[in-house]
Amino acid sequence: MRSCKGFAGFGFYMAVAFVLAWAVVDASAQGTKEVVVGFTGPISGVVAEYGQDCANGLEMAISDINGAGGITVKGQKYNFKLAKLDEGLDPTASVNNCRRFRDQYKTPAIFNPLFNSIAAISKINQEKGNEFIIMAYTSTPKAIEIGNKMLVAIPPPFTVYVKSFSDIAWEKGFRKAAMVATLGAYGDEWRAAFKEYWLKKGGEITIDKPANYYTETDFSAPLTAALATKPDVMLIGGPSATTALVIEQARGLGYKGGFILIDQAKMDYIANILKSTKLMYNTVGTAPVEQSPTEAAPNFEKRYRSLHKRMSTWEVWLHYNGMSALARAIAAAGTVDDVYAIRAAFPKAFPLLGDKFPSAPWFGITPGGRMECPGSIQTIDKDGKYGKVKLALWQYKTEAEFKQAVAKAGPISADVEWVFFKREKEQ
Amino acid sequence: MQLFFQQIFNGIMLGSTYAIVALGLTLVFGILHIPNFAHGHLYMLGAYISFFLMTLYGFGFWTALISSMVILGLIGMLIERVVYRPLQGRPHINSFISAVGALIILETSVIVFWGPQGRRIPNPYPDIVELLGITMSYQRLLVIVAAIVLIILLQLFIKKTTPGTTIEAVAQNREGAMLVGINVNWVSSLTFAISTATAAAAASLVAPIFMISPTMGALLGMKAFVIVILGGLGSIPGAIVGGYILGILEAIGGGYLSAAYKDVYAFGALILILSIRPTGLFGKELS
Amino acid sequence: MAPTKFLREKWFYVLLLVLALALPWLMTNRYYFQIVIMGCLFSITTLGLNLILGYTGQASLAHAGFFGIGAYGVAILTKAGLSFWLALPLSALLAAGIGFLIGLPTLRSRGSYFAISTMCFGVIISIVAGNWIDLTGGYNGIVEIPLPNPIPLPLIGSLDFQTQAAQYYLVLTFLIFTLLIMHRLVYSLLGLSFMAIRNNEVLAGSVGINTFAGKILSFVVANFLAGMAGGIYASLIGTISPTTASLELTFNWLIFLLLGGAATLTGPIIGAFVIPVIMEYLQFLAEYRLIIFGVMLIVVIIYFPRGVMGAITNLKQRSRDFFGRRKETVKGVAGG
Repeated sequence: MRSCKGFAGFGFYMAVAFVLAWAVVDASAQGTKEVVVGFTGPISGVVAEYGQDCANGLEMAISDINGAGGITVKGQKYNFKLAKLDEGLDPTASVNNCRRFRDQYKTPAIFNPLFNSIAAISKINQEKGNEFIIMAYTSTPKAIEIGNKMLVAIPPPFTVYVKSFSDIAWEKGFRKAAMVATLGAYGDEWRAAFKEYWLKKGGEITIDKPANYYTETDFSAPLTAALATKPDVMLIGGPSATTALVIEQARGLGYKGGFILIDQAKMDYIANILKSTKLMYNTVGTAPVEQSPTEAAPNFEKRYRSLHKRMSTWEVWLHYNGMSALARAIAAAGTVDDVYAIRAAFPKAFPLLGDKFPSAPWFGITPGGRMECPGSIQTIDKDGKYGKVKLALWQYKTEAEFKQAVAKAGPISADVEWVFFKREKEQ
Repeated sequence: MQLFFQQIFNGIMLGSTYAIVALGLTLVFGILHIPNFAHGHLYMLGAYISFFLMTLYGFGFWTALISSMVILGLIGMLIERVVYRPLQGRPHINSFISAVGALIILETSVIVFWGPQGRRIPNPYPDIVELLGITMSYQRLLVIVAAIVLIILLQLFIKKTTPGTTIEAVAQNREGAMLVGINVNWVSSLTFAISTATAAAAASLVAPIFMISPTMGALLGMKAFVIVILGGLGSIPGAIVGGYILGILEAIGGGYLSAAYKDVYAFGALILILSIRPTGLFGKELS
Repeated sequence: MAPTKFLREKWFYVLLLVLALALPWLMTNRYYFQIVIMGCLFSITTLGLNLILGYTGQASLAHAGFFGIGAYGVAILTKAGLSFWLALPLSALLAAGIGFLIGLPTLRSRGSYFAISTMCFGVIISIVAGNWIDLTGGYNGIVEIPLPNPIPLPLIGSLDFQTQAAQYYLVLTFLIFTLLIMHRLVYSLLGLSFMAIRNNEVLAGSVGINTFAGKILSFVVANFLAGMAGGIYASLIGTISPTTASLELTFNWLIFLLLGGAATLTGPIIGAFVIPVIMEYLQFLAEYRLIIFGVMLIVVIIYFPRGVMGAITNLKQRSRDFFGRRKETVKGVAGG
């Protein structure tokens, strides 16, 4: 019938157009080749924001690298591409996604920001003929303890923050600490490390009342119990948004003491929710990203906000650096598929300095596989004003080495306090 | 002692929220026999609607609350029509799956279209008052008062008005109600609308104290089921009593014992109570 | 039954078995192979769920909790040095035992009351797993769980489980084992009594069936299977945490079961394979994937209430009716 024929004809021409378009698009990619890097993380669910921030950082890095001409390996130009998959909070999905990346794109490296997934993936990243590097965004020493030779950890170990925050709180005269931090893997580890360090210094832990920052919004019960023990400083923190609520509720119950924020909680995010730092007096925590003393920081933050309509976080910045280091390592290794060579070439990716990188200076990578990202610390005094940003270097054995590194730090604002922590066992 | 009363106050406020949400759920579960597992996510949607009305269109707090109730009531009717009515008469477990589907759609849509980050609704009554050594914020007191008002209004509606008694008639005997000419489909829609509207009210009242996020309803939805089962399916007094019991249990348990095991106490208590009274505190035998 | 007759009647299943055994040679793609292995594993859990829900009519939402008990059991025991082959049955028995203890109070309730009761228990398991740090490692869970111990075989040396092929045969063996158990149970008097309890518990009781004992037995066997699957999972994936016992997993299996076809032997397996494959295929939808999944759930459960197997049975019935009627009319016309 006429209508059928007409329709069939239309369909035919559409199909031809489609095939042509696809061929053209495919052909145009022939000049520059692509290296695909994988990201599997929690893009949906309770920690969706965390997962999405990580992926956003990777995408910014990739667009900058490609914009600067990509990398050249053995005379062939390469651009990078990010393949992103959601895994919820399920290590089974993680493993599936990694196998998918390897099958479809032969990715040399895969990023993942959850310790449980990283541990599951570590079982399959060294299969003969199918190896890949795990770019692990986790600050727990447990990730390094797994001992996987093809694993690179990105953020600084959280123990640096435990020590620096405790030292600062101690200097302020606080001695009695109450803990109302988050439950969960990260919170549990932080609390245990803090308790050990604080008690060793001679301080007192008046009470430990963790709460689930991921699912609760009403903390009146644990806060009331904690305040009854009359602490002068409280260890709190978990996801930033909930931490803001905790601060608000604690002040609302009459608490006038100090706060130590575990590094998961971001000061600037909290200040944004509370509309000012008024309630955050006598607080120590990780420095806000935009106070980062590098040249590149202000522009970076502006770009991120115009792209994503919200504030950036350390997840974004450290993933930016991590991806850039990976690209440099691939270029230095002179190969896009020999992952052992790429891993061995990582030291050549450094230093990452403050002119190009919002988080700096990164000087190298530890033998255990953790990139040497400095810890960033900030305090808010009793009037609600920010202090000087402190950068903590934790990778040197002697103070002499530390001083040499500071001298080579490059374009970092002079208004920074440098803190030395002696290097400990691999973490 | 003061600590104890503060915890009790906290518990009553928590319980008020639970009671309103459980009320809505028991209406639907007990009367329509629909296990609306997506109730918690509809609650979340109510909070987001209030938020957008207030921040994008400049609605006042109370106007936004009423509007949110109306909008969510309509959405509730839509959900009943599309997701649950086709499954009338089939085993409950099928409605469960349908509810899970609706829940996934709601949560993912909110994350995709409005972003995963938490938002804040400006608190209309930020002041605090100290009474007998207990610190109370006005907003929290408001939640308690509003809960009591809502409960009383709902009871009056069910017992004294014609639509209300119609709903009760359908609950008691669906076929009998049809025989006397009651349009059971219309009653289903109305019940669902009331259920979701009350959830929207609870969400809008509580949101300024805390925060709204796409996953804020998940745990609450599950707890609402626990309360409804504890109190007995379809029993409004059961839902209210159950809600307050859970709230106070959580406050006391969280304050004096380990907050980590807080949910264990509540859920453990449920298993215990159900083993003694298999149909809940005030429930009757399932047909 | 004579071998040729058996082959003629069950040729389809024999073919399937041969294909399944030959799979590692046909499957060169590690990604697809991973999905198949996981599909086999989750078929076991879904079959277990089918026993208590599909055949006995009790909606147990604690299934992942028992999966978790099995997983943690194997993890803790094998890391302490015990052989996997001993740890696995012990953990499965532990899951069954705890199932028995929990069944006693909870099975006194019916329908939604039982469902919510078991849901609470499942959540309790994951909270305890997250907080009993000394035993379970807390929310970080247990990592570096060893693969199953190599089996010494005569002549060939030992069979270790490093390769996907070996892991596949492991789960396939347990899947066949589970199918055998299910088959014996379902096509027995016991299985009929389960279905009687499901269809009308009061009536079943009045004809002399001990409904409580039946429910407990079904529950315990289902949890044994779940625990067994959990133990295998722990060893193969190597990492477990409280999310291994999460409600989300139970919901996934519930979806596999209902969309595949409850109260059939093949339904759970179909669901456990088809749905993950669809989900992997839908990855191109990125963040919209879950929305489409939700819509799919609602549409399928409304239009295919008895799942894929139900739809196939319907189709067979309809075609039989159709062709039967044609035969009738032809006969009638021919004056037969």
